[in-house]
Parts: sequence; C-alpha cells; structure tokens
Amino acid sequence: MDFSLTKEQLLIQKMARDYAEQAIQPALSTIEKENQVPASILTGLAELDLFGLAMPEEYGGADAGYESYVLAMEQIARVSCGPAMILSAHSLGLGAINNFGSREQKDRYMPGACRGEGIASFAFTEPGTGSDPRQLTTTAVKDGNSYIINGTKRFISNASYPGPLVFFAMDSESGKPTAYIMDKQCPGYSVSEPWEKLGWHGGDLVDVYFKDVRIPAENVLGQAGDGYPILQYGIAYGKIGMNSVALGTTLAAYEEAVKYARQKTHRGDPIAKFQAIQLRVANIAMLYESSRWIAYRLGWLANKPKSFKDFAHEAALAKVVVAENAVQAARIAMDIHGSYGLMVDYNISRIYRDAIMGPQVEGVIDMQKIIVAGDILKG
Amino acid sequence: MAGILIYSDKTRLALELAEAARQLGLAEDRAYKAVSINHDEQSLELAARGLEVFSIQRSELAAADTAAMASALCQTAEQLDVDTILLSSDRRGKELAGRLAEAWGAGCLTGVKEWVFLEGRTACARSALGGATEAIQIINSPRRVIAISPRAFIPVEGVEKGSVQPMEVKIEASTIKLVETRSLAGDTVDIQAAARLIVVGQGVENQEELTRGQKLAVLLKAEVACSKPVASDKKWLPEDRIVGLSGKLCKPDLAVILGVSGQVQFTVGIREARVIVSINKDENAFMNKMADYVLVGDLLEVLPELEKYLSQ
Amino acid sequence: MNIVVAMKQIPDLQQIRIRNRQPLLDDVPLTFGNIDKNALEAGMQIKEANQGKVTVVCAGPRELADTVKEALAAGADEARLLIVEEEMDSAQSARLIAAALRQMEQVDLIIMGEGSGDNYSSQVGSRVAQILGIPQVGFASCIEVKGSVVRITRSLEDCEEIIEAQLPVLITVMSDINTARIPSVSQILRAGKKPVVSIEAQELGIDIGELSIETISNLAPEMQRRQIVTTSAAELVRALESEGFGGRG
Repeated sequence: MDFSLTKEQLLIQKMARDYAEQAIQPALSTIEKENQVPASILTGLAELDLFGLAMPEEYGGADAGYESYVLAMEQIARVSCGPAMILSAHSLGLGAINNFGSREQKDRYMPGACRGEGIASFAFTEPGTGSDPRQLTTTAVKDGNSYIINGTKRFISNASYPGPLVFFAMDSESGKPTAYIMDKQCPGYSVSEPWEKLGWHGGDLVDVYFKDVRIPAENVLGQAGDGYPILQYGIAYGKIGMNSVALGTTLAAYEEAVKYARQKTHRGDPIAKFQAIQLRVANIAMLYESSRWIAYRLGWLANKPKSFKDFAHEAALAKVVVAENAVQAARIAMDIHGSYGLMVDYNISRIYRDAIMGPQVEGVIDMQKIIVAGDILKG
Repeated sequence: MAGILIYSDKTRLALELAEAARQLGLAEDRAYKAVSINHDEQSLELAARGLEVFSIQRSELAAADTAAMASALCQTAEQLDVDTILLSSDRRGKELAGRLAEAWGAGCLTGVKEWVFLEGRTACARSALGGATEAIQIINSPRRVIAISPRAFIPVEGVEKGSVQPMEVKIEASTIKLVETRSLAGDTVDIQAAARLIVVGQGVENQEELTRGQKLAVLLKAEVACSKPVASDKKWLPEDRIVGLSGKLCKPDLAVILGVSGQVQFTVGIREARVIVSINKDENAFMNKMADYVLVGDLLEVLPELEKYLSQ
Repeated sequence: MNIVVAMKQIPDLQQIRIRNRQPLLDDVPLTFGNIDKNALEAGMQIKEANQGKVTVVCAGPRELADTVKEALAAGADEARLLIVEEEMDSAQSARLIAAALRQMEQVDLIIMGEGSGDNYSSQVGSRVAQILGIPQVGFASCIEVKGSVVRITRSLEDCEEIIEAQLPVLITVMSDINTARIPSVSQILRAGKKPVVSIEAQELGIDIGELSIETISNLAPEMQRRQIVTTSAAELVRALESEGFGGRG
C-alpha cells in the first residue's frame, strides 16, 4: 500500500491549482453573479486536456486515470464549483459513450468532446422520476431508420452547450428503458431558463424538452431495451465528479478557516490562540483528510471496477462521507468566522452554499445508505 | 594589508559603497579606494569626500558590456593591491559582480545589507529563502567581491581632501552592441529607491480612500506602493509597486501602511523600514505589532485630518 | 538553434514555515523557482519562433530526476542533470554548469532567471558566461533572435538598454518577461518519456573548487517595534515631525 502521489499526479494537481488561481479566481465574482462560466475559461480547461482527462488516448483523451481526474477537479472546485460541475457532468456523459458506445459512436463523439469542442450531458431525471427507471415517461418510438423522441428531462447539466447528450427513454418496441445519444440543439430540442440554485453557480441546471426529436436508429447506446447497466454506470460514476467538487469545497473551507483563525485577532492575539478555535480547526483537518483519501480511492477504483454494481456500492459509501464532511467542514469554518462569515465579502459564505449542495445531488444521502445497507445485509 | 576597492556607475551608490568600505576598512585595518569609469563628476565627488580615486577614461568601455567592465575592474584591482571589491547591488552591479568574481577568482555575495563583525572575521547579512530569513555569511576565499544593497549604508561623509589619478587598462574588443538607451517613462517609480513610502493594503476599500492615500503621499513626498492583492486582484496600481515576498523588498526611512493586515508575505518586504506607521481600522491588525506608530481609525476620517495637519 | 535553460531546484518557498526563527525545510517539496519557469518560457518562445531545441540543464541532488519533469512538461525537449548531493555555492554551480555546456555539441543561447528563487545571488549566469568567454546580457525583458544576432532589452532600474549580440550569448531574464504557460495533462504524462541524461558530477572530470561561502546562521529576523498608539491624526503628525518627517519635508 503506497498512499503517495506520483510526480505526474502532483503536477496534474498543481496544474489545476495554478489554472484555477490564475484564470478562474479573477472571474469568480462574475461566475457567482451571472451564474455562467466565461467561455475563455472553458477554452482554457480544454487546452489543459481536462475535458478528456480520464478518457483513452485512442479517442482523443489524456488517459490520466480517474484518480488524476479527482485530483484536478478538487483543485478547480477549491476555487469555484461551477467549472468543476461542468467538467463532472461532461465526463459522466462522455464516459457513458466510452464504456458502452460502438466504435463508430466513439469515433464520432469522443475526440471533439475530449478537446472541449462539445460538452457532453447525461440525462436521466424527469419531473416525475427520481432514480427509478420504470417511471420513465420520455418515449422513443421507432420510425424506419430513426427514433422519434418526446418527453422532458429535469435538472440537466451542460444542456445549453452543444455536444452529445446521453439520455434515457422507454423504447417503444421492448417497452424497456434504453439509452440513446442525441446531438444537443437539434430540431425539436429546447431547454428552460436555468434553475436558480443555492450554490454551484456557473454550472447551470436546466429542464430539457424533446418535441418530436428525430435521431438515427444507430444512436442507441448499448442495446435497445438494455439501458439498465448504463444507468447503473451513471449513478455510480457521476459520484466521482460530485465527490471531487465536495472535496474541493472542504479544502476551501479548511483553508479559509485556517487563514481567518490566524488573521482575526481578539484583544491583540490571533483567535488561533484559543482552544475553541483550535479544536474546530482540528475537526476540519480530520474531515478533509478522511474525505480526500476516500475520494482518491474511488477515482482509483473507477479505472478498473470489478463490476458497475460493485462500484456503485463503493461510490454510494464514498458519496455520503465526502458530501457530509463538506457540509460539516463548511459549518465549522463558518463558526470560526462568526458573524463575518455571513457576509458575501467573505469566501466562506459561498463555500457554505456550495457545500450544502452535495448531499442532495447525484442521489440523496438516504438513498445511498439504503444501497450500502442492502449490499451488507442481503441474503 | 591589501586594500578595498569600490565601484558603482552611479555616484549616489558609490558614496554608499565608500561608507561601507570605510566601516569595513576600520574593522579589518585596510585602506579603501575608488575607481570611476568615464565619470569625471563622480571622481571629483568621491575625491571631495576623502577618497583616493582612480579614473578610467576610455570612451569605448561601456557599462552595458559586462565582460569588458569585469576585465577593466580586474586589471585595476591587480594594479592597486586590493583583495576586496565592493559593488552596488543594483541590477547593473549584480550582473557585474558574478562576472568580476569569476574573472578575478573571488568568492562573492550580493544583496549585502550589513556588516557583521565577528571575532576577527567579517560576515555579511543578506536575505535568503526568498526573504523569509536573514543569512549571516562569510566569504572564505582570499579575494572577495561584495555587492551592497542600495540604501543599506548612508553616503560617506568625508572630511579630508582625496585625490584623482588616471588608471590605464587594456580594453577588450566589445562583443555586444548597445543600440539604444531609453529612459523609462516619467511615471515609472522605483519603490525600492524611495526614501518614503505610503503602502496601500486591502483595507483601502474604494477609489476615494486610494485618492486620499495618494494625496498623503504627495504631502509626505512619498511614493505609493501596495500589497499584492491591490495590484494583482484589484489592479489599482501596477505590479512593480508590490511590496513583499512576491514583490519588492523595501527599506525606506518611513513607511506609512494603510489598511494592511500584516501577513508575513507582506511584512518581509517592509520590515527593514526605519520607521513604520500603521493606520488601520482594526485595532488588532497584526500589522500594528510591527509598527512604531499606530493610529486606529477609519481611513476616510483619518486621512483628511492627516492632510490638514501636514499641510499646515 | 540550440537553447539551454539552466534551472535550479529549490524548496517550494510558499510552503516553508518558520518555528523559533528557524526555517523548517524538511518535507517541503522541491520545485523550480518561478523565475526559472519564466526563463524556460522565454526559451520555448524563441524555439517556437526560430525552430530548434530547448535543453534544460540543472545541477543538484538526485531528486532532480523527478523535479525536472516539471520543466519537460512545460515544453523542454530534453534535460541534462548534474547530480551532486553536497551543497554548492554559486561559483561551484557555475563551474559545473559550464562544464556540462562544454560537453554539449553546440549551444547558441543560454537562458536563466536573473536570480535563483531561494538565494537570489544572481551570480551563476555571469560566472558561466565568464568561464565560457561569451557575452552576457542580464535582466532581459524582451529577447528577439534574428539569424545569428539576438536583440535584447535589458531592463535597469532607471532605463532600458537595447543590446545586440552575436550568438552564443548568455541571457538572464526578469520575471515579467512573460507568463509561464501551464502544462496540459498530456504534456505532464509525456514528460517522463523525454530524454534525460543524468551525469554524476565527478564524472565531468573538473575541479569545482572549495565551498567559498560559509553560512554562520540563517534565521527569520526578529522584529522589535515600538508600537506607540497615537490617538489622533494631530498626535501622529507630531510624532512624525519628531522623527524628522515633516509635511513640507
């Protein structure tokens, strides 16, 4: 067992940190106010190969492994969750094509998306559907050499950007959930205004409307009627990116707490001298350390999962720990700041909003615990 | 005992070197002399302060040609029986120091701020580890080239009359061509050379406070410098005005610090000021502990009052 | 054209902590100084404009083999490492680097930072130029190569000099000459596959001489200030006047 990072991993981490500090930090207030990541930042992230970081070289990726993906995403989210959220949803959609797509589908969609020329999305959730595929209402009706798609998807990331969309619908022939690929912004495709969210500004969530969208029959991802493994992949792999965002938020809370404890004085002494503050700083440090190793390990496991089902268990467990730790760390860091922490001028106010997102997205916490318990107690 | 030779192309720095040489000569019982190159005025000024000056007058020898300058100084040192050469640690002097040291076979230190006389040995104090520490170092080779930081010593106050005599050296054929010299635009300020600084920190929250700070600078005949975020994030001032680890290390006579909390990355850049004044609305700002005078108050109230009293 | 960028491995200055005035250097990761990255970027830009090759040369302890990947990721084509475990002063480093440069086939341009990030002694470049007997221009804020002539803007405190010289030339650069690029993931992963020649310093067969600099102490300075609290602007102005800082100066 060797828990040290390789020089390459350290450099990837540093690259992401440098870029986040040099290019994203100055745009942070714009991202927060306008709920939009400037195009120049997306171009910059693409030039650093972050859009294809964990994808195979054969299809234009950098093949650096998911653990490097976690390291890079953590450093980006440490500065701003928006760009990290875009990368997370993109990597999820692209990863689905990489894992389940035909050679033709990969050739067609992956190289451009790895270069950031298209931003991928992954769409399962619907207004009336949580995570139960049997409740899907979006339909795909075979019509000669195409499918005609109708329905609505909810809370979809990156749906306003051009690029491939991996989505789920009920296949009219088999009557079973099936995954398909669609080029976003095709005729019949439209999106709502972005939802106004509590945190993670810049990574917008919209509803997507399909009105008689026609896609070629060869755009079925995997086999028609066999969407379930792809959904299982999505539920599990989406948590790698979301965990990285929560981890970056934890790191940011940690750094803000330490900085404030050293800077803020009470009767001439920095508040770091008081045990009440020291205990809180120690708590955040412990939360961060436990989160980071569980998040890095999840990335490492994702490179070669025994099965998607097995990985789903690991991902559920990791998600609960990392998302909850972020919330706790942000809360403790907020307490160290006292009333100043409520002011928008102080970073911790944003970090607190960002942290609270984690437990609710990519599968709520209780659902994850049920998955974990189910695996332990079965039979 | 072999003597000390000083050289700077700038008269003000040469006078500071003379003072450094005087102190070193006193401690080590050595004579000191100066060389000046294509600079009559400097020769006379140094001689007027009691120095024995050797003047090289060769128009083909350009200060821009570091190799030729090192050779000329090397030959001068050989002729004058010296084993220590003091240069100024400005950019010109630093570039020359290494080349001269290598040509002359000397050990060399640059950025020296102070002599530290230990039992029979002379050490040099200089910043190390990017300004985080101060190293006390000794050159153990028989010959020494030491570049002295600007403003580390006061200009020498000579009393007796010195002398100027010509010095002949062989000039090497130049390998570079000086095409043009451009003086820097009028608004370029060298905060390291400024005797007084007003330093603007993040506690200066708006343009009005900044303007007030600039006004104070005019009244105090000071230059305006800043902490890193003011230039890098807010872009209120150019980056060459940043004080601190990632900016410049300054040693003014007076530094008036406006609204700086006082992190170490900043304070390394100003801790050697003779007098530090911290004006801050937070009475507990760490900067106040590093100040000689502290005034607690809102900048928009304090600065106009200071203006009033200073212009009376 | 063959461009050599000499870089120095130093502790990451942002991560040095001070305890009881002592700098704590254990466990501080090694890296290249920021200004060395600007030197490399300058070399890269010249290479891109004129074709050629950028070779990084560094002298220092064995950890260099890992640290140099930073430079290779940032675009250097190859590296020559001169392995020395002992601490060296500027004169010794210069002799070693000069010896390594002499071994190389043809070197047109040598670029360094104007001072190392940690020690800032600014000597190595000048010493190397003297040993090799080539012209030098320090504190460059702009470098343009036209054929065998290089045109350099030397940025001094009070003026700029435009200088032309025939290659080979040694140039030291200011940190504001450029913004060093951030390497991409693929560049980082490819760095380890680029050619690296590692030479034990004693194999160069030169005498780098004795250490000429002795460090007596290296401590964070103590700060003792008077901390006199003035209660009004008037009182502060009086205090300043008593120190000799009147308003009318």
